[in-house]
Amino acid sequence: MKGNKDMQTAIQKAIALIVSGDRELCNILLVTAKMSLSSSFFALCIGVPVGIWLGSGRFPGRGVLVVLNRTLMGMPPVVCGLLFYMLFSGVGPFRKLHLLFTVTIMILAQLCLITPLVIGNMETYVSGIAGSVRETAMGLGLGPVKTFFLLANESLYQIFSVYLLAFARAIAEVGAVSMVGGAIAWKTNVMTTAIMQYTNRGNFSLGIALGMILMTVSLCVNIVITLLQRRFR
Amino acid sequence: MEVRAFSKSYDQNPVLRFPAFSFEKGAVYAVIGANGSGKSTFARVLAGALFCDQKSSPLPAGCKVGYMPQKSYGFRMSVEKNILLGGKDRQRARQMMEGLAITHLAERRADRLSGGETARMALVRTLMKPYDLVLLDEPTAAMDIASAALAENCILDYRRETGGVMVIVTHSLKQARRLGDQVLFFHQGNLLEWGPSAQVLEQPEQEETRRFLEFYGA
Ligand SMILES: Nc1ncnc2c1ncn2[C@@H]1O[C@H](COP(=O)(O)OP(=O)(O)OP(=O)(O)O)[C@@H](O)[C@H]1O
Ligand SMILES: [Mg+2]
Repeated sequence: MKGNKDMQTAIQKAIALIVSGDRELCNILLVTAKMSLSSSFFALCIGVPVGIWLGSGRFPGRGVLVVLNRTLMGMPPVVCGLLFYMLFSGVGPFRKLHLLFTVTIMILAQLCLITPLVIGNMETYVSGIAGSVRETAMGLGLGPVKTFFLLANESLYQIFSVYLLAFARAIAEVGAVSMVGGAIAWKTNVMTTAIMQYTNRGNFSLGIALGMILMTVSLCVNIVITLLQRRFR
Repeated sequence: MEVRAFSKSYDQNPVLRFPAFSFEKGAVYAVIGANGSGKSTFARVLAGALFCDQKSSPLPAGCKVGYMPQKSYGFRMSVEKNILLGGKDRQRARQMMEGLAITHLAERRADRLSGGETARMALVRTLMKPYDLVLLDEPTAAMDIASAALAENCILDYRRETGGVMVIVTHSLKQARRLGDQVLFFHQGNLLEWGPSAQVLEQPEQEETRRFLEFYGA
């Protein structure tokens, strides 16, 4: 019975926190938005062209690149975090950039995690349509640049779906960002790392509040993108 | 126009062997043959959409090729925009669309057309500008009879306007006769017989050609 009551007060407190617009909460939200929107957007910018190229190209070594990318798709976030930590920490080659424990390096680490997902998804989709599109474009004397844009246009619906995947991964990810970001309050603390922190400290209400916001933000982004996707169908 | 000999295999499996051949400028070649005899493969290789075993195009360097695949594809944009991909001349696009009676489809999305409508759009798109060689792979197979007749007229007009070589794959002997000056008969991946349409269609030399034509009641 007691556990149930605790749960109830935690949720009540969480709602109160959200309604009152707690400043730390707002900051966490802001950092999270900045990080996940940036990393998913940049992953899309890199991954879509590369995916289209990989899915439609006819060159030796294409198969090897696809397998390599698929391997990267399964990279555990903590391994990615470790890699970036080593590269940018006091002994790493990029230590002079002083990026460790900044939002920038969190975005970079997430890029490394998410871009392969975008590439892999685009590659799979594009390889299904590349044959007819390329054949048709070639038959009209269109060059590779024009063909590339035609492929992108044919994949528009898929690009929206891929963006949602990238965003979902970015906003939900905790392993890499906690390692390279350090979950510093007011600076690099994002929703997932904060939930971990608060839970560890026994502060369930803030954890629950964040969890609820996380799901709500996710829902909103999904609704917006899905509506956009329908318009461009 | 001289075409070098080439072959095409899939996993050591030869599906097409084509000898060195000389295409006459301004002539129309009708390609006939059973399913799987290599007609589309032939068109694909000449179009550059498929590498042959020799890995280099059998066509003379700088030869401009227009090609309408067997399966027409409508890009995710309006019919008119699709057609303008083939050539920028709007007036010509209008004329050609009238010729194939698809003017009313101009604003429609090309990826939502019916099979025959897509084929009509694709034919217009392919014939928007002159080429040294135009390859049409069963251009009228998906069309109703009236549309097919319009398509044949369009092809004949195009031929009159431009001086290139035309290669038309077809399963209709009547069409081969109406459009083709020459007929190429493919059998199991080989160019078995070729020559003036009347000769190949009416007095074939090869036993296999005769057997193929028999099915048409010719
Ligand atoms: N990608 C491929 N892999 C393996 N075999 C193929 C491939 N593409 C075509 N073939 C084979 O090559 C042969 C010739 O095919 P092609 O498409 O040229 O036939 P076609 O003469 O155009 O037939 P149709 O009248 O049905 O259009 C067929 O036996 C086909 O199965
Ligand atoms: Mg065919």
